Amino acid sequence: LGAFGRRWAALCLAMIVPGVAGAEPGAAEPGALAIFRTDIEPMLDQFCYDCHGYGSNKGGVVLDGFESDRDLRDHSLWLRALKNVRGGLMPPADQPQLPEAERTRLLSWIKGDIFATNPAEPDPGRVTLRRLNRVEYRNTVRELLGVDFNTETEFPADDTGHGFDNLADVLTISPLLLEKYLDAAQTIIAQSVPTRPLAVAEHRIRGRQFQSTIAVDQVVQTALDSAGVPAAAGKPMPQAGTVQGNALDLLYYAPATVAASYEAKHAGPYQVVVDLQTIERYADDLFDYNSCQVRIRIDGEVVFEQPFVREGYKMYSYTFDREWAPGRHEVVVELEPLIHDQPQHRRLRIRLAGATVRGPLPSEFWVPPPRYAEFFPAPVPGEPAARREYARERLKAFATRAFRQRVDRATVDRLVRLAEHHAAEPGSTFEAGVAQAMVAVLASPRFLFRDEGIERVPGERYPRIDEYALASRLSYFLWSSMPDAELFRLAREGRLRRELGAQVERMLADPRAQELVRNFTGQWLQARDVTTVPIESFDVYLRDHPHPEVEEARRTFRRIGRIDEAARTPEQKAEAARARALFQAFNRQPRPQLTSELREAMQRETELLFEHVLKQNRSVIEFLVADYVHVNERLARHYGLEGVEGDEMRLVKLPPDSPRGGVLTQGTVLAVTSNPTRTSAVKRGVFILDHILGAPPPPPPPGVPTLEEATRADGGGELSLREALDQHASNSLCRSCHNRMDPLGFALENFNAMGAWRDSELNRPIESKGRLVSGRTFSDVRELKQILATDHRQDFFYCLAEKLLTYALGRGMDYYDTETLDRLVQQLEAADGRLSALIVGIVESTPFQKRRPLEGDIAGATARGSAPTAALTP
Amino acid sequence: MPAAADLELKKHLAAVSRRHFLRGLGACIALPAFGSLASNRLVAATERALQLATTPTGAPLRTAFVFFPNGAIPQHWWPAGLGRAAQFNATLQPLEAMRQHVQVVGGLDHLNANPGDDGAGDHARGNSVFLTGVRPQKSATDVRAGVSIDQVIAQEVGHLTRLPSLELTCDATRASSNCDSGYSCAYVYNISWRSATTPMTPESNPRLVFERLFGAGVHGQRAAQAQQRIMSRRSVLDFVLEDARQMERRLAAPDRDKLGQYLDGIRDVETRIEKAERFGAGPDPDVETPSGIPPSQAQYVDLMYDMMLLAFQTDSTRVATFVLGHDGDNRSFSEIGISEGHHDLSHHQNRQDRIEKVARIDRWYVERFAAFLQRLEATKDVDGHSLLHNSRIVYGSGNADGNRHTHENLPVLLAGGGGGLLHPGRVVHHGGQPMSNLFLSLAEQAGVHQLERFGDSTGRLANV
Repeated sequence: LGAFGRRWAALCLAMIVPGVAGAEPGAAEPGALAIFRTDIEPMLDQFCYDCHGYGSNKGGVVLDGFESDRDLRDHSLWLRALKNVRGGLMPPADQPQLPEAERTRLLSWIKGDIFATNPAEPDPGRVTLRRLNRVEYRNTVRELLGVDFNTETEFPADDTGHGFDNLADVLTISPLLLEKYLDAAQTIIAQSVPTRPLAVAEHRIRGRQFQSTIAVDQVVQTALDSAGVPAAAGKPMPQAGTVQGNALDLLYYAPATVAASYEAKHAGPYQVVVDLQTIERYADDLFDYNSCQVRIRIDGEVVFEQPFVREGYKMYSYTFDREWAPGRHEVVVELEPLIHDQPQHRRLRIRLAGATVRGPLPSEFWVPPPRYAEFFPAPVPGEPAARREYARERLKAFATRAFRQRVDRATVDRLVRLAEHHAAEPGSTFEAGVAQAMVAVLASPRFLFRDEGIERVPGERYPRIDEYALASRLSYFLWSSMPDAELFRLAREGRLRRELGAQVERMLADPRAQELVRNFTGQWLQARDVTTVPIESFDVYLRDHPHPEVEEARRTFRRIGRIDEAARTPEQKAEAARARALFQAFNRQPRPQLTSELREAMQRETELLFEHVLKQNRSVIEFLVADYVHVNERLARHYGLEGVEGDEMRLVKLPPDSPRGGVLTQGTVLAVTSNPTRTSAVKRGVFILDHILGAPPPPPPPGVPTLEEATRADGGGELSLREALDQHASNSLCRSCHNRMDPLGFALENFNAMGAWRDSELNRPIESKGRLVSGRTFSDVRELKQILATDHRQDFFYCLAEKLLTYALGRGMDYYDTETLDRLVQQLEAADGRLSALIVGIVESTPFQKRRPLEGDIAGATARGSAPTAALTP
Repeated sequence: MPAAADLELKKHLAAVSRRHFLRGLGACIALPAFGSLASNRLVAATERALQLATTPTGAPLRTAFVFFPNGAIPQHWWPAGLGRAAQFNATLQPLEAMRQHVQVVGGLDHLNANPGDDGAGDHARGNSVFLTGVRPQKSATDVRAGVSIDQVIAQEVGHLTRLPSLELTCDATRASSNCDSGYSCAYVYNISWRSATTPMTPESNPRLVFERLFGAGVHGQRAAQAQQRIMSRRSVLDFVLEDARQMERRLAAPDRDKLGQYLDGIRDVETRIEKAERFGAGPDPDVETPSGIPPSQAQYVDLMYDMMLLAFQTDSTRVATFVLGHDGDNRSFSEIGISEGHHDLSHHQNRQDRIEKVARIDRWYVERFAAFLQRLEATKDVDGHSLLHNSRIVYGSGNADGNRHTHENLPVLLAGGGGGLLHPGRVVHHGGQPMSNLFLSLAEQAGVHQLERFGDSTGRLANV
């Protein structure tokens, strides 16, 4: 279609559907190419075509040779141009710069003529039907039914795009996942909704409620050093056990006697169920041959006795039938070491989860099961019609919350029919019928997907999402969960939109806003990954503290270790023993290690900074530069900060010359951008470009090795980073991109792969000074952070706005979002960078409030009784 | 439906599987005896059963695709010479004892994994092209690959077994962030695709794999539990289908695609229910349910292989895929004294020490594979042959030389006898043909006859 054809098509449609003519945003005014030739091309000719015209195509970008309007309207090309010009990346610093007026004209031409954005009514885009991801599902189920269903182990991981796991387009449902959804629905309802009005009374005694019967002064914790070196042989001292959550852990190596009691009110048959688990710490190729005897006594009588060797992670449940008189009854768990003088490599433990006392068993003693009144607050009517009405009332309330929208009568009817059908089965009950209908609700696509209704506003081009949909968008954005009662109430009354500001404030103050903190920082800054990123602490430490003797010993040990034990010569055995001794002596000395506790503290640090800025209503610039950190003793020591004691994370003011403060020098960012044994200046540079400046470099051309992969010109030895940089700088293919990322990464070279400070690597001093592509120079990371916070303040605003809007909407950004992003950045700027302004801005923005209509919506809108209004897809 | 014969087979398999044949992690016990099964009963299976995923003796014909990450060091991978007398090099050395069961297949390419207009992203393509043979759409959100060969086969033969196919992975943790040069992570962690837009999500937790196959709980109760669980799904189907229909009416095309995935899943569940009714209670192997992901990588990989073995032995499925690690995987191998990340090392700068380390990782993966083949060989199938004899296991990577990101002459092994249809024990070089040609041949052997083309195939691969 030429311009004429397009106009013709628009005209035809305008005749069919009133109210469209001239409003089609995708069609620029006729002669866009002509305007380009007269107004824009001369400017490009002067400032851009050296690299992007006349046959040059640096970075794959060509800005000339357009032959038609259609050709010209290449949205992704011009979006790239817009970002680069806006961010001051183009033209490059060493080339003549666009005068301000020209620059402004170019940017507004791209937005106006190419993107055809309408500032008064930007295109809101459209989010595809989005299913709940694992996190949202878990939170929603917790909110809805008070059940913590561990989706992280039960469901497969969600796929991601643009770094986020909540993007509608990328979230799919495989047959496997669907099966899991159906089974999860059963499990969750079975765990929460009682299916009988009365049941055997149950009393749970948690493992941690078991008390040691040994006097406190006799208790000595069995000592085990971190390297797993055997504790002193001899008679082990009794232990009291260690509380682990609700459970109690008992080591195999020391005797223990723990007891709990139960006061029986009635005489009769009872059951006692004791739950145990075997636990061990994994150790490479090291086994633990200790064993113990576990004995269970009830009221003094031994009811169970069995030896345990190393068993892996297994659960055991033992049930004992007892005939009890009223009064106090005692359950005792005893552990007696059988073999306890073998190396305690695996910290073998019996985990006492707890004991359940059930009874008396006869039905005259039965009581309403736990949570009965919550699901069935009134007595079940005997009369069939009233019964049905009761089921209807219960199921309508549940389905409305679960579907997060109004539920029509027909749906409730179907649920009631399902409940009645199930209740009529032999042995079933009214309650079981209702529970089965609730299973169906949780299995429904209306629960699993976020189905959004829309409403038309007279005179507006784009329909708004309805108030229920708005409630869900808010709650899933700020809480990663379903709306609460207040949001539902406001939506029902049609007042949510009017009270948006107050609601956002309330929601951010709510503890559930932790989910925004956790899930957004977890992905924007990859803070989640720090708990699993493979880092070999030993190797990282050795790079900064080279120790040829130890390295040689390790190599020797490994070399001989690969020889079959039987085939080793006596010399080899002696050599291996020597190497092992040397290695172990070194290994016993304290050195920084990226333990799981430290990783966890790092993750919390990143979350706490975000939370601090959010809750204290501070500027997002503090993500880049801050004179404080959040640490506990462990992390403070890792960072070389003194005077912090205990496990609790807290805000600590930094000394004036500290390089820390802000996300770039946090352990999370530094570790997740590293390889297992060493840092990667390239990965770190790319991280800053992508996650802080919003200008990810194009991926390397195929076949070009990355920085660390570049081969030394002389063919041997490892390139120092400086040498690699020089190589990049001398190769024009590498230079155009690596000039942007390398200096950023080098500024962080003082931090090793564990995020600890260092002055040298492989005995070479670290040089952290550098020069940005903008021409600005810096001497260390402190100066770099200042430059980012001042010169690149706006880039950072754009980047953060883009990431947060992507997360909030659940879709990737496109050219038509330029207008919204411009506005968000203006709002951030006007609010001195306060994070709350960005969040409120997003919530109020067009793409959050509205939705681009497609033909399906029109049918939907009609079905809901709104007037149909046609619109074209841009 | 080959009802009678099939049922007979099931019953027998169920009986067999009750024997204790696996002991602990990755260990294997001697073969159960199988004298009782009259082979003529199997041969009497209906014609259709004989054609589809069935060996000439009437036993199930299993097909698996195992993916290892980051290619292999070519000079250590490729044997010296061709044919039966070829000399295995360092990487394939662990297969020496099994060499008569393995075909080393050279000269197969995945040209669609090479950079085209889509530029960088060789790892994402290495994964997503591996079983599809098509160039995936480069996008973070607009995910479009192709139907993978395992799914092509499963769609034809899946009705014969309780599960049409099984998808496994040892990628238990996933990084957030962008995956590879603008490709969605969906391309990186999935190799099996049911449709262009629906990846078959693999399962990483051996406990969940086991419970899906055989039911939860202790031995003796599982089959009933599994049956009960499958049947209980039925009660909600009418309701959710009606809900889906109501929703569908007001959805636009991209939404319908998402809802379509839901509906496809529902149809699969319906099929499973029908099968559960027809086949009755399933097998319940007398082994312990795995407690979860073992801490050691070797145990983890072995245990996942065991899950595949169990699934095949009990004829729970005839099609499986297994991702040992996605292409670009950067895990370290401290278990064998290698601290560096695998991907990081694979760009070895031609430094000898790094090449050696990568080769040792390649070999470690082959060791695990060889041990799996040994267990398959030690397990007798219904027709008296070994399970390995009645299987076709493709073992390969999406990159050939990880250092240079090449996708020609991919490292590929084809293990098993295919029920006598394959000719293992050789090194063959096909001189540069699409990997898809091999897939086309394998599909045909499994009874998928109407398939003329697959991915970038140019014809069927001869001499397999």
